[in-house]
Amino acid sequence: MPDRDPQLLDANTRVLGIVPGKPAAGDRKVLAEDDPVMVWPHLLVRHGVAALAILAVVLFLALSFDAPLREIANPTNTPNPEKAPWYFAALQELLAHFHPLVAGVLVPGAIVIGLVALPYIDRNPSLSPNARRVARTAFTVFLVVWIALTLVGFAFRGPNWGWVWPWQEWHGEL
Amino acid sequence: MKVMDRIRATTVGKSIFRVPDRVTERDRAAGHWASFLLHIYPVKVRRKEITFRYTWFLGVASLVLFGSLVVSGIYLMFFYVPSPASAYGDIQTIQTQVAFGQYIRNIHRWSAHLMVLAVAAHMARVFYRGAYKAPKEFNWVIGVVLLVLTLLLSFTGYLLPWDQLAYWAVTVGTSMAGYVPLFGEQVRDILLGGPTVGSATLLRFYVLHVAVLPTLLVVVVTVHLWRWRKDAMLTADSEVEDA
Repeated sequence: MPDRDPQLLDANTRVLGIVPGKPAAGDRKVLAEDDPVMVWPHLLVRHGVAALAILAVVLFLALSFDAPLREIANPTNTPNPEKAPWYFAALQELLAHFHPLVAGVLVPGAIVIGLVALPYIDRNPSLSPNARRVARTAFTVFLVVWIALTLVGFAFRGPNWGWVWPWQEWHGEL
Repeated sequence: MKVMDRIRATTVGKSIFRVPDRVTERDRAAGHWASFLLHIYPVKVRRKEITFRYTWFLGVASLVLFGSLVVSGIYLMFFYVPSPASAYGDIQTIQTQVAFGQYIRNIHRWSAHLMVLAVAAHMARVFYRGAYKAPKEFNWVIGVVLLVLTLLLSFTGYLLPWDQLAYWAVTVGTSMAGYVPLFGEQVRDILLGGPTVGSATLLRFYVLHVAVLPTLLVVVVTVHLWRWRKDAMLTADSEVEDA
């Protein structure tokens, strides 16, 4: 649905005023990045498409893969390895290397507090990537380390938390 | 569109939509303000904000996934009783006898995993474009709260099937709470309702999963979106910082 500008200029209409910043009919300006556009329809259409796309992904996954259901819970039979959900796999991997107080309390606590404090620590007002080297590097290092730990804990750990290659033995659980 | 215009023009249509003829931008803005569904959006945004590369639409994706989780989750609630005696059997019944049960359970499971991914990716995307900077610092903080709530929702839901996977994942996950200094034991007891994962844990996680956490999430998301709307046309650059 294209934008419709006011129909100003038929024979019986007088132009009473020009609104600054608005194009006269037939004189569309080229929009810059920071120029405002109407949410309806421009953003709504895109959000609609994005919503349908993500729903399509979900419906496709649900058709292709069944949610897992193992044997009934048995408190006397501990599986080896016991695995936390994948989003805690990085913490579980840390638990294998550090004291539980560090891996289970200090690290997750520091991450949450660090994320909350981020906008108050980074007071650099610039949005340009080059002027944000320190912040971007620090965040990227954190992300890469965290994703690597998650992958290792999720897919590369087998019985007794020993190293396994995921293409030889699969122990990841979703 | 022509059909919608006709419906709007009728007496009933006017009473429902309250939208003026959409000729100028001002008319459309008025229609926007008058609509309940549209009022969660700003009337205008900066042009860069509607592009894929700016947001990757990850916030919308998170919200849509949450909607999918609410719908599929309510369906599953009809067939599920949170007690160790029946939970596992209920899941088996859902998968084998309930209409579309297996499919709805799959939707719930994969939406949940995708939502964790989408929320985390949304946060990373916001970081890389610097959208947490003044004056939007506090909306970032609210976003961190939403990330934590999402993880808690996923984790409490993980126990409900009451299979070996659920039981031991939650045992591992909650064992870390026991290492909180001074009052670790108490924290774990409150979470589990006992020394180990048992019937009290299942009931607690269920209530958190279907009532407490979703309600909190909706409230906090509302504030998150409200602030997003209010900030939509503010600049996040040095002019604001100098003020």
